Amino acid sequence: MQTDDGRLRLTVLGGYLGSGKTTWLRHQLHAATFGTNVHVIVNEAAETPVDDALLGQVTLLAGGCCCCDGKPALIAALRRICDDRSRTGGARFDRIVLETSGLADPGAIVAAIQGDPVLVNHILVGETLVAVDALHALAQLGTEPLGRRQVGAADRLILTKTDACAPADLAALRATLTVLNPGAEVMAAVLGEAVDLPALPPGTKPAPLPPLPEEDARGAILPTQVQVDPAIDWSAFALWLSALLHARGDDLVRVKGVIRTPAGRLLLQTVRRVVQSPEILPDAPDQGQDNRIVFIGRGYRPADLERSLHRFLGRPLPVTPR
Amino acid sequence: MCNACGNPAVPGHWTDAGAATPGDRLRARFHRAGVLNAILRPYGLSAHDGGVVPGIQLSTLSGASVIVPDLAAVWAEAERLVGRPIDPLDARYLDAD
Repeated sequence: MQTDDGRLRLTVLGGYLGSGKTTWLRHQLHAATFGTNVHVIVNEAAETPVDDALLGQVTLLAGGCCCCDGKPALIAALRRICDDRSRTGGARFDRIVLETSGLADPGAIVAAIQGDPVLVNHILVGETLVAVDALHALAQLGTEPLGRRQVGAADRLILTKTDACAPADLAALRATLTVLNPGAEVMAAVLGEAVDLPALPPGTKPAPLPPLPEEDARGAILPTQVQVDPAIDWSAFALWLSALLHARGDDLVRVKGVIRTPAGRLLLQTVRRVVQSPEILPDAPDQGQDNRIVFIGRGYRPADLERSLHRFLGRPLPVTPR
Repeated sequence: MCNACGNPAVPGHWTDAGAATPGDRLRARFHRAGVLNAILRPYGLSAHDGGVVPGIQLSTLSGASVIVPDLAAVWAEAERLVGRPIDPLDARYLDAD
């Protein structure tokens, strides 16, 4: 699907090593979930490509993870794709799917694409999907900062291998993922085929997430919800959020929510300092989710965010503290 | 993009997304400049958006001024002029009333 302004939509598919990204993607290409005209870019950290043999027509970036070492190669490949598309005058394909290496931080990739002066005019970064291995993720999230960053960067989490996982472990994993990224939609797939998730049993406890060395003195990454007063309009909210991202962008892993504006309901999402172009959602009655913004970050007391929002804009604090 | 001034370099800054019609956009710009001015005053800066020229004009008390394209650039420039970032989580905004 092309966007209104002719930019290509890019979907980022991430997930830890062996989390089932390629399996999932291969099935989606077969079932044409992303449409029939998809350009797939596969990145592998290792020099020897394996995954591309499974997928068919792809651009392969081997030998360097595209969130760090391989970033110039990724940018060059995307520019080449956009260039070819402009030359041939159009729509040989409608969408790019980027499968990252298992070592990549999807947030860094989104930041790199949106920070490139050429690509920002040609590519609209859409959803970030992250595959989560239902068998091993709990152990990984307990020890790997990267695993937590990947989960934190997701718009949609795809639980894989759920058929091989005990129901109690699956429930604990889902509760843990909600702690790490309350804004993300969670779905499940077995060998790429979507399966329904049972309702989460009430009282399921998330697994403990010990602080990791990389999280250092700034504390653990915690989610906070901020209810934006309807009296604070979009311009004022954008002032506060842009200042916050400028000053604290490194600590704010993710901000996500729907906010009502004169232009319609805006889906707002950021990864660190990068804000994705807000999308206007179809109008729908408020189900209590609008104007409720999730902040995932560290280095501040959660209650301070709402206080800061009012005081920074020179407004009185709400009378009844929530 | 205008080939003389290079504006706009990117398709719309995210902070401009809340207004769909030209009237709304202009109203939002004036309103934003007002609120921004109030925020910047304690730091010895002022903001002006006349609604005609793209961008926001930042000035210091000594008269130095600069035009920046969007809010992200406002905060970066304000940090340069003030010498530290303008942080909404600064203690001055969090202290008791």
